[in-house]
Amino acid sequence: MRVAFLGVAHVHADAYAETLRAAGVEIVGAADRDAERASAWGRRHAVPVFDDPAALVAQADAVIVCSETAFHLESVLLAAEAGCDILCEKPLGRSMAESRRLVEACDERGVRLVTAFPARFDPTMRRTKDLVANGSLGVVRAITGVNQSVMPLRDRAWFADPALAGGGAMMDHIVHLADLCTWMLGAEPESVYAVANRVMHSTVVSVETSGLVMLGYPGGVFASIDCSWNRPLDYPTWGGLAMSVVADGGRVDAELGVQRLERFGGATPYSWIPWGIDSNERMLRDFLSPSVDAEAASGADGLSATRVALAALESARTGEVVALGTEPADG
Amino acid sequence: MSAPVVGIVGFGFMGRVHAAAWRAVGAELGPVLMRPGHGHADELAAAGCTPVTDVDEFLAAVDVVDICLPTALHREFALRAAEAGRPTLCEKPLALSTRDAHDIVEAFERAGVPLQVAHVLRFDAEYAAARRVVASGDLGEVAVLRLTRSSFAPDRGAGSWFSDDAQSGGIVFDLMIHDLDYALWVAGPVATAFGRVASGGAGHAIAILRHESGALSHIEASWANPDQRFDTAGEIAGTRGLLRFSSETSRTMSVRLRAEPEAQSTGLGDIALRSNPFEAQAAEFLAAVWSGGAQRSTPRDGLAAVALAEAVRRSIFSGRPERPERPDRLEPAADRSS
Repeated sequence: MRVAFLGVAHVHADAYAETLRAAGVEIVGAADRDAERASAWGRRHAVPVFDDPAALVAQADAVIVCSETAFHLESVLLAAEAGCDILCEKPLGRSMAESRRLVEACDERGVRLVTAFPARFDPTMRRTKDLVANGSLGVVRAITGVNQSVMPLRDRAWFADPALAGGGAMMDHIVHLADLCTWMLGAEPESVYAVANRVMHSTVVSVETSGLVMLGYPGGVFASIDCSWNRPLDYPTWGGLAMSVVADGGRVDAELGVQRLERFGGATPYSWIPWGIDSNERMLRDFLSPSVDAEAASGADGLSATRVALAALESARTGEVVALGTEPADG
Repeated sequence: MSAPVVGIVGFGFMGRVHAAAWRAVGAELGPVLMRPGHGHADELAAAGCTPVTDVDEFLAAVDVVDICLPTALHREFALRAAEAGRPTLCEKPLALSTRDAHDIVEAFERAGVPLQVAHVLRFDAEYAAARRVVASGDLGEVAVLRLTRSSFAPDRGAGSWFSDDAQSGGIVFDLMIHDLDYALWVAGPVATAFGRVASGGAGHAIAILRHESGALSHIEASWANPDQRFDTAGEIAGTRGLLRFSSETSRTMSVRLRAEPEAQSTGLGDIALRSNPFEAQAAEFLAAVWSGGAQRSTPRDGLAAVALAEAVRRSIFSGRPERPERPDRLEPAADRSS
C-alpha cells in the first residue's frame, strides 16, 4: 500500500506520517500549495515532495487529504480521478455544495472516502455507543458534549481564516461531536441552535472563537456541543473531547485523553504526558486495511456532520433555530 | 443588642436546614408559622420552636422572617411580611413568575424593608472563590461559562409539593435557578436564553445563554443520576485564563461501605466545607439587616433570576431563543387590576 499526502496543512498531518512510518507503510510523497511548508514537512518526515500533485497521486493507492478545508475539493477530485481511496480531514468542505460534490465524485469513481473522525475508533466511544444501542441505558434523553481547545496558531493559523476554513471554532470543533451524537443515536438531527462570540483572541482573528450548540434529535432528544477555542495558550495539551449521555437507565460520562501522566516541573511548570490509546492509529490502520470497519465514518457521515456545523454558523448569525430537512440543504 | 428573633415560615426540608443555620450564627429562633397538622412536631420541639398558625400573631413575635414555603406560596407571605415591616429571607426561587417576583420586590422596596432571596450558591466557599477570581480580573474577559448541577431525583414523599411542577416550577425553577443566578452574578445580564428539557425520565435540562457582555453560558441541571450522588462542576474560560472546579475533584474523602448508603438530600452536607453556605448566608443577611451591610444577593438579583428562569421555560415551550423580561419595564403593581 502506497500512501500520498495531498496537503500537509492540517494539524494531524505530522501524527499521521509518524503513525504510518511506525507501521511500515510506504509514504510515496507529499504535495502542498505552499512549497516552503511542503519541503519543511518533507524534510521532517523524510518524505519526497512533489510539485505536481497529479504526478504524486499517480504513484499512490491511497491518499490522505490534509490540505486546508478550502482545498479539500480539488484534492479529493484529483485523488478520486486517480482511483485512490481517500481519507479526508474534517470538515469536508466550507459549504454543502463543495462537500457534496466531493462525496459524489468518490461515489462516481467508486473509491472509498473516509472522513477523519478518529473518535469512532476509540473504545470508550464504542462502549458508549454499545450501551446506547443495546438498551443498557434505557431511553436516552440528552447528550452533553465538549470539544474545546487552544486556538490554532502559527502553522495552523489558517483554521481561523474564514476563506480557508469556512469559519472558526464552530467549523473546527462541532463536527466530531455532531458525528458521535448522530452515530450513537442512529438518527440525523432535526434542528440546530447555536450562539457564538469572539471574546477570546478578539484582536487576532475575525472568526468566532467560542460557541455553544444545541441539536434537536427525533423524539425530543437533545445534544449540546461546546466547540470553543478557549483553553489558554499555556494549557497542558491541545484541548479535549468529552461527552455525557443522560438516560432513564443511568448516565455515561466519557472523556478521551485522560490517560496521562501529570508532570510537575521539567521543561514546563506543569504538563501532561499521554500514554493512552491512539485512535488516529486505529483509524489509519482501518483505512489502509482491505477489510472495512463498518463503524468508520463514510463520506456521507462527513457530509452530515458538515451540515450541522454550517447550520450552527447560520443559527449563530441569525439568532434563530435552523431546521434541517431530511435532505441535506444547499449551501 | 439582643439577638434578633427569626421566625421561619414552613418547616419542611429547607425550613429545618435554615433553622440549624440560624442557631449556628447565634440568632434566636422564634415561633414557626405553619398550617395545623403539617410539619415535623418532633423536630420542631427538638429545635425549641413553637408552632403558630396565625399570621398576625407570628409577625408580632418575630424581628426577621424566613420564608421556607413551597414556592407557589412565597408571594402571599412575602407581601404580608413586607407590610409588617419585617426583613425577610426568602427561599429560592423568589416566585414562579417574573410578575409575582416583581410584586414582591416592589412591596419591599416601597416599604423600605430588606429582602434577600436565598441564592445560597453565592455563599458557597467554592463558588464565591471562583467569582472572586473573575472579579479580580485575573481571567480577563469571560468568554464561556459552564455550570453543571447533577443530582439524583429528590424524594420528598408521595404527594409532595416538590414533585408538582405547578408548585415547584420544575427543574428549571427549582434546580437550574441556582446556576442561572450564579451565571448572572459572574457574567451579568442575559440577552437571550435557549432551553431544552427531557420529555420524560427523572428530569434533565440544558440552557444556553447569551449574556449582554458577549459571554456565553452552558447550564446543565439534572435529576437523572441513578445513584445517591450529587455532582457539581463549573468552568470559566476567560481571555487570560481558565478556571475549573468540581465536586469530583474537591472531595476530600471517599467512604465506601458495604451497607446501603444513606440518602442525602443536598450535596452541601460535606464535613470538609470551609464554611456552611447556609450559615454564611444567614450571618450576612443579619448583618445587612442590623448594620446596613451590603447584600451579596439583592432583591433585584432574586427578581432577575426568576425572569431568566422564566425565559428558559418560555424557550422550552416555544422552541426558540427567548429574551428575559426586563423587570424594570414592568408596570407598577398598583396599575394592574389582577
